[in-house]
Amino acid sequence: MEPESPAIQTKELTKRFGTFTAVDKVSFEVRRGEVFGLLGPNGAGKTTVVRMLTTLLAPSEGHATVAGFDVVRYPRQVRKNIGVIPQALTSDLDLTGWENVDIYGEFFGLSRRQRRERGHRLLQMVGLSERANDLVATYSGGMRRRLEIARGLIHSPDVLFLDEPTIGLDPQSRRAVWDLLETLRKESEITISLTTHYMDEAESLCDRIAIVDAGKIIALDTPTGLKSMVPGADRIDLVVEKNPDAIADMLRPMPYLRAVNRDGGNRLQLSANDGAHAIPKVLEAVDGAGGRVTSITVQKLSLEDVFIHFTGRTLRDEPAKKVSMLVGAGMPQHR
Amino acid sequence: MLGLKFLAIMRRDLKKLMRNPVTLLSVILMPIVYLVIMGNSFQGQLKHLPIVVVQQDDGLYARRIVEQLLALQSGPKTVDITFENDPGAAMNEVRDGRFKGVVVIPPDFSHAVAEGRIAQIGLFTDNVDEISSETIESALDQATATVKIAFVTAREPKLNDISLRPNWLFPYVDYDRSLIPGVIVMAIFMGSLMSGVFNWVMDQFMGVTEGYLVTPLSRWDIAGGILASGVVVTSTAGVLVLFLGLLITGGRILGGPTALAMLIGIIVITATGLLAMTFALLGRAGHPRLVGTFAGFLNVILFFPSGAIYPVESFPPWLRAFAHFNPETHSVSAIKQILFKGADFTAVSGDIAFLLVFMALMLVLASMSFKRTL
Repeated sequence: MEPESPAIQTKELTKRFGTFTAVDKVSFEVRRGEVFGLLGPNGAGKTTVVRMLTTLLAPSEGHATVAGFDVVRYPRQVRKNIGVIPQALTSDLDLTGWENVDIYGEFFGLSRRQRRERGHRLLQMVGLSERANDLVATYSGGMRRRLEIARGLIHSPDVLFLDEPTIGLDPQSRRAVWDLLETLRKESEITISLTTHYMDEAESLCDRIAIVDAGKIIALDTPTGLKSMVPGADRIDLVVEKNPDAIADMLRPMPYLRAVNRDGGNRLQLSANDGAHAIPKVLEAVDGAGGRVTSITVQKLSLEDVFIHFTGRTLRDEPAKKVSMLVGAGMPQHR
Repeated sequence: MLGLKFLAIMRRDLKKLMRNPVTLLSVILMPIVYLVIMGNSFQGQLKHLPIVVVQQDDGLYARRIVEQLLALQSGPKTVDITFENDPGAAMNEVRDGRFKGVVVIPPDFSHAVAEGRIAQIGLFTDNVDEISSETIESALDQATATVKIAFVTAREPKLNDISLRPNWLFPYVDYDRSLIPGVIVMAIFMGSLMSGVFNWVMDQFMGVTEGYLVTPLSRWDIAGGILASGVVVTSTAGVLVLFLGLLITGGRILGGPTALAMLIGIIVITATGLLAMTFALLGRAGHPRLVGTFAGFLNVILFFPSGAIYPVESFPPWLRAFAHFNPETHSVSAIKQILFKGADFTAVSGDIAFLLVFMALMLVLASMSFKRTL
């Protein structure tokens, strides 16, 4: 990687397919060693951004550098410095796990010795040493994904791109992939770009998250920072002994609360910017008004709530894609 | 409805078929194309068989025989006649594959007829092409019958230092053995489809190529690697079929190691050319189904007009013209000549030159059609 350059930098990166703009003037920087998440609903343009950054698609406008190299002018240099785990499972079914890793190392010009040393270490890291000589056709989806992570790391890349790495995996396999990424993050200085629409994945793994919708970045910050962007991020559930309406009316003007609603029976739902700070004041106010609190809990806003806040609840239908009049559905991964 | 759920599967399949017009079209159009190609590739009347006439006698009966042969040339066009004085040179031209047979009318032919002795006409044919050989013999029979003379083919074991069997220039090749060149070329064709372009399109279909496109592999690395592996697999298949064919039919390669080296060379050139051709045609196919559909089609339109089973001379002019530009025709012809006639490089240089030009052209087209993107 070029010294002191950001691991990834985009400036007004744009991609159009005909009249449809899949990515619209996206600009961001990823620091070296950072785990950066691209979070967005289906069809938001996340994969298109990754495909431009990994030189699979040429941008229509704008610029991008990866590992210090311009993706259009120096695609070969970019490819030398990145590891990519695409969304589709791309390991070769007719080869063994070891052969998949070994051949990939050859693509990057590694010597036989380097391939042997790194390959075995990586297969051990992903827990596939014992199945290394089995055909990939005999692997489960989770095993293939782990193998592909090992394969993507064989040449010790500076930047690792993972596009929906846990999609379609069972919870155990998802956890295994997360553990792997955590290990990588702790033990190396690799920069990771993670594309996902799983909130828990983004929250637990990413240093910063960009929320992408309709081809644009609509929010970019740390998970905590993103939550703080939403007004009334903490939810307080309050149950009072009697007179819930009167207590609600009494609490509404309080400056530390953003909203007060009845939630059936004697239950009230309050929202506050800082729940921990608001609770003693709420208790004091209810007591002062002659009421009595039966229970009170505070719940932090989840990343999913943040996501819905920024992207809305509307279901996303992806634009119709071209289907060949001659051969019908065509290549599945291009759809 | 109970028991009729298969109708749902039937409807599903029909919908899928209707949405894949290429497949549907192949069901209807390809049999018609096959009919036209195959129908014209078998059992047609042989025409324009090139023969040499060595007329050493200028007597009455000799002239009448020649007149009858010229009538066959201008009428049913069975033969194309070239006159030659030297029987040895004429036979060399048959050996080199330029002519299908030599008719030698000896100096005392007319005298022998006039004196009532048995008159002999020498007929030496390229017996490797059995069908053409029989047609020429039958044409000569026709010519001699009209002049009402007794006719016996030459029985001389030697003529101008060429050691021959009575009226065959080459060792006997039975029907099974005569199919070996065609089977080799078909193995090369099938191999070129299954190992090269099919692998590439299937890898794209399975998503495997996406993983390769994000590595420093260049367009040439990928295309060259696929082509090279295809050449190895396909050429090996071709050579194995050659040996298995000889083993089954009990034949041997005339010409020893040199001929074997030439055969391997032709197999490799043919394999490379056909691999590049299938890449140029199908490298951008959006679905393995398309490769499968075209595989059968290409096999029929290239194999049957190649002369592997029935001589090119039996084809109508349009199919003969197609056969002339068909790489499989030249491959079959070269393999036949080397394998069964022990032909040297000069004799097959025309076929090899065509195959080399075809290979170069297809490599250029394939490289133009191959793209290093999703």
